Amino acid sequence: MRLLDRYEEVVGHQEVEHLRRLAERLAGKRIVHVNSTRTGGGVAEILGWMVPLMNELGIDARWEVISGPPDFYRVTKTFHNGLQGRPVNLRKRDFDLHYEVNRENAARLDLHADIVFVHDPQPIYLPAFTPPDQVGRWIWRCHIDASRPDWAVWKHLEAAIPHYRAAIFSLAAFARPLTVPMFLIMPAIDPLSDKNCAMPETERLEVLARFGLDPERPLLLQVSRFDRFKDPLGVIEAYRLLKPYYPTMQLALVGGPADDDPEGAEVLGEVQEQAGNDPDLKVLLLPPDSHRAINALQRSATVVLQKSLKEGFGLTVTEALWKGKPVVGGACGGITQQVHDYHTGFLVHSPAGAAYRVHFLLRYANRRQRMGQTGHDFVLQHFLLNRNLRNYLAMLLCLDQPEAGTLVV
Amino acid sequence: MEASEPFRVMDCSLVRLATGRQCVNLRELLEAVRTVPEAVLEHHMMRCAIEDHFELYEFPNDLARWCWTALGDNVVAEELGLIDPYRQLTTAPLRERLVNTMEARLWELDHARWCRPGLELHLVYSRLIAYDIGECVSTPAALLEAIERMSLRSLFYHVHEARRRTQGLSDDFSLWLEQSGADAGLVAALRQIDFYFLNLNQLREALIDAFRRYVAAAPPVPRSVP
Repeated sequence: MRLLDRYEEVVGHQEVEHLRRLAERLAGKRIVHVNSTRTGGGVAEILGWMVPLMNELGIDARWEVISGPPDFYRVTKTFHNGLQGRPVNLRKRDFDLHYEVNRENAARLDLHADIVFVHDPQPIYLPAFTPPDQVGRWIWRCHIDASRPDWAVWKHLEAAIPHYRAAIFSLAAFARPLTVPMFLIMPAIDPLSDKNCAMPETERLEVLARFGLDPERPLLLQVSRFDRFKDPLGVIEAYRLLKPYYPTMQLALVGGPADDDPEGAEVLGEVQEQAGNDPDLKVLLLPPDSHRAINALQRSATVVLQKSLKEGFGLTVTEALWKGKPVVGGACGGITQQVHDYHTGFLVHSPAGAAYRVHFLLRYANRRQRMGQTGHDFVLQHFLLNRNLRNYLAMLLCLDQPEAGTLVV
Repeated sequence: MEASEPFRVMDCSLVRLATGRQCVNLRELLEAVRTVPEAVLEHHMMRCAIEDHFELYEFPNDLARWCWTALGDNVVAEELGLIDPYRQLTTAPLRERLVNTMEARLWELDHARWCRPGLELHLVYSRLIAYDIGECVSTPAALLEAIERMSLRSLFYHVHEARRRTQGLSDDFSLWLEQSGADAGLVAALRQIDFYFLNLNQLREALIDAFRRYVAAAPPVPRSVP
C-alpha cells in the first residue's frame, strides 16, 4: 500500500486529494532537504515521512545529511543552546570550524535543486560555499525557539541569512526579525508512527504492568525531559495537593536519559528525591526509542500534564490530545496554541492551578471525555502531517509572489 | 434549472508570515493597529476565521479574542468583537473604527492591563493560496450536496474571501445562482447570512438551512471531516 493511501485512512480522502491538487503545480520540482542527522531527533522524524510523501506527490525530493568531526557537533550543540537563550562560550576557532565543515559538505553533497531546505543551524552556511548555479532558492527552516538567542551565536548565524530567499519558524513567537520573509509552519505529528498509532489493548496493559501502574486507578502523566523548564517538581507538588482527595491516584513522570545535559541528571536527582518512597509516584527513565511504551502510557493516562514554564511547540501535548486526553499545560510557547480552556484542557500558571484543573477533570468524567474528543478532533484538523505538508506546498507556491493578496494557482 | 457555466469548487490554504512585532497591552495594540500594513489587519480581523480558534471561542477576530483571554479586558473585547470588517469597503475605515474603539477604552482606564508572559499577541500577515479541486456542479441541488461535504476552507474561500473580492456584495454561491437564474429568494437568503459572526461549521449549517428552504430536498450526504 502506498504511503498516501495509509494516511488517507486516517485523514480522509478529501485531504489527500487536496495535497495531490496542490502538488500538481509543483510536479517535477527538485527539492533537497539538508540536516545533520538521519536518525534521532524531531527533524529526522519529520524528514522521514516528508521526503517519501513529497515523492509520492510527484515532487523530486531528496534528503542529504551533512557530516563533520565530533568537535563540530559539540559546537553546533552549543549553537542550539545559544539559540534557545542559554549563555554560551564560543571562540573564533569554533565559528571557523562551523564554516569549514559547511565548506567541505558543500563540495561533497549533491545539492543540485530548485529549492534547498536547510534545517536548523548546523548546515546554515552551505549556501555560502555552493556554486550559485546549483540551487534555485535556499530556505532556512529553524525548528528552534530563536526568540531570545545568545547574542554572539545569533550574530554568527544571522550573517548567513542574506543567502536565503526565506526562513520558516514554527511559531511567530519563535521568530527573530529578519530581512527575508518569515513563514510560519507549525509542527505536526505522524498518526501512523509507533508513538501515535493505534495499539492493541494487551500491549497497553503489558506496558502498565511492566512499570507497576494499575490500569483501574486514575493516572496523571507528564512526558518530558528532566529539565527545570518542564517543572517536574511543580507536577509533584500538584499531585501532592490532590492526593488527599484522590488517594488512589497515580503519577508517572516519564523522560529520557540526559547524556548530553549535566543539568538534566541534577534535575532527575531532585525529582527522585522529591518522589521519595511513594509507591504511586513513578519516575521512569526510558531509552530514546521507547515510542510504543510512551504511546501506551499516554493512552492509559486519565489526564496528561505538561506543566512547562518555558516550552517549544510541545509535541507531547499534541500526542496526548491525539489520544483523546485533555491536557493541563503551562501557559507558554506552543502549549497556548493547543490547550484551550474548557475545550481541550486547561492552561495553568502554578502547581495550585494545575491541581485545581486536574481536580475538575477527575471529578467530571463526562466533561473530561468530551474535552478529550475535542482535543482529538482539533489535532486531526490542525496538527497532523497532512496539514504540515500542505503548508509547505502552499508556501512554495507563493514563494516568489510578494503581495499579500489571494493567489489562485 | 441548469446553469450554462458550472460552479467550480475551490479550496485554499493559508500561508502565514511573521512580522516580528508583538503586543503586550492595549496601548501597544492600538499603536500597532495604527501603523501595521493592511495585510496584518486583514489577517487578524478576517482570515483568522480559517484558523482553529474561532471553532473554540466565540469572538470572530483575533484582536477581540486576545483582549478577552490574554488581557482580561472584557469591555474592549466585546466592542472589538462586534466590529464587522466586511461592512467596510476598504481597510482604512476598518482601521479607524478599531483605533477609535481602543482609544475610547484607554480614555476610560487608569492603566492599561498587560498580558502575562507567553500570552503576547504576535502580529502576522498571510497569503491565501486558492486552487481548483476539480469538482464542478451544475444545479442548485448539486451545489447543496457539495456544500454539505466541502472542506471548511472551501467555505471560507467561497463566502468570506468572495466578499472581499466583490467589495462585500456577494458570496460565490449566491452570485453563481443569480447568474444561473435561480430563485431570487434563495439568492437573497444566502446573502443575508451573518457569516462574519458564525464559525465555519455554523456557516455550513446556515447555508444548508437556506438551501433547504428553496431547493427540492436532495438526499442527505454524509459529511466528511474537513
